Amino acid sequence: MEFVLDFLSRLITQFQSPTLGFLIGGMLVAALGSNLKIPNAIYQFIVFMLLMKIGISGGIEIRQADLSAMLLPALSSIVIGIAIVLLGSFVFSLIPSVKREDGIATAGLFGAVSASTLAAAIVLLEEESILFEAWVPALYPFMDIPALILAIVLANIHLRKTSAGKESKVDVAGIVKESLRSSALSALILGLALGLFTRPDRVLETFYEPLFRGFLSILLLVMGMEAYARLNELRRVAHWYAVYAFFAPIMHGLMAFGLGYIAHLATGFSPGGVILLAVIAASNSDISGPPTLRAAIPSANPSAYIGASTSVGTPVSIAVCIPLFIALAQVVFEL
Amino acid sequence: MTLHRAEKVVIITEKMISRGVCEILEACGATGYTIVAAGGKGSRNIRMTSERASVIDEFANVKIEVIVNDKAMGEAIMDQVAEKYFADYPGITYIEDVQILRPAKFEHD
Repeated sequence: MEFVLDFLSRLITQFQSPTLGFLIGGMLVAALGSNLKIPNAIYQFIVFMLLMKIGISGGIEIRQADLSAMLLPALSSIVIGIAIVLLGSFVFSLIPSVKREDGIATAGLFGAVSASTLAAAIVLLEEESILFEAWVPALYPFMDIPALILAIVLANIHLRKTSAGKESKVDVAGIVKESLRSSALSALILGLALGLFTRPDRVLETFYEPLFRGFLSILLLVMGMEAYARLNELRRVAHWYAVYAFFAPIMHGLMAFGLGYIAHLATGFSPGGVILLAVIAASNSDISGPPTLRAAIPSANPSAYIGASTSVGTPVSIAVCIPLFIALAQVVFEL
Repeated sequence: MTLHRAEKVVIITEKMISRGVCEILEACGATGYTIVAAGGKGSRNIRMTSERASVIDEFANVKIEVIVNDKAMGEAIMDQVAEKYFADYPGITYIEDVQILRPAKFEHD
């Protein structure tokens, strides 16, 4: 009983974090029909800044890190990314009102990773002064790319079986290339490379670090506004998407928390790292995943998967999952 | 001033397929085209121009204009774009009569 009370009181404290406040504020502003606008160029610049900072810190850390410690978490990330897509496609295949490729695309998006959720988790961990290995964010592509590829392959197998006509081959190399070239992953990988091979410590400390929190708050405001705007689209598709989008992030995060815990016992993966891995698994792609799926599975309905991901999945993974996993870790690891 | 008759094909669609559309234009024999950012309202709700953040940039709309000398080429472009993309992606296309100054600009040599 004490365990549960302790857990709940920690959860409530998490909800008061300013980071989550901006997300909810964005939704509220959009719901009230405000004319507040964040220009597109600024939004894109912010996404770039955040990923650059995450990448550089990760690269600097990898320089000194013991690479064998990364192995188990990296493998876990791949396994989770694949498991999420298989599980999601299976769950949706049980619901007759959901078109098969729509379900697969939705599962693919939830297996992929969100940069904004990841950045929010990093800030919350710093606020709680929970330490994590700075290379953990570099696990992002290990989960993101396999999940997207698997979803696209599954959808194509299905479409070929129902002989929706065109004989289409899945261009795996092409998808990997497109994913790595997407603005999100390019910025992250460029940051990692700069952190690894150059000495960007000064520019990181004086420019990227100080701006990180402020820019993230604006990004979350935008995500909140977008989440509300997309709700309309979600209303036009089956309600099952909303149900899935609510529970899936929590389930996926718990799965990853379990695997992270094993890595903690086996190779001393830090508690903060376990939380971040869980958040990466809980998150669903909202920036770079949708266009990839849209291009590769054109017959899937984007209103279904983007609505589910952006208007329910992202708010749930930021506002529910991050506090939940931090509270869980505080109890499990007695932080 | 002597003006010449020509046709202008307009395609309004998403940024993410604009590359493919332009390939069709060139394959059909167009010598150039103009792309501008577009926004407005259609069957898939309101699309903003760049004044507001669009989380997924590739879904922003563009307006592609191409001028061709003969109507058959214009219709071929419209046909191919509609057949390749408009079943799965949003878009509209129309053709207009226009008057141009230098027809040689729109002819291959």
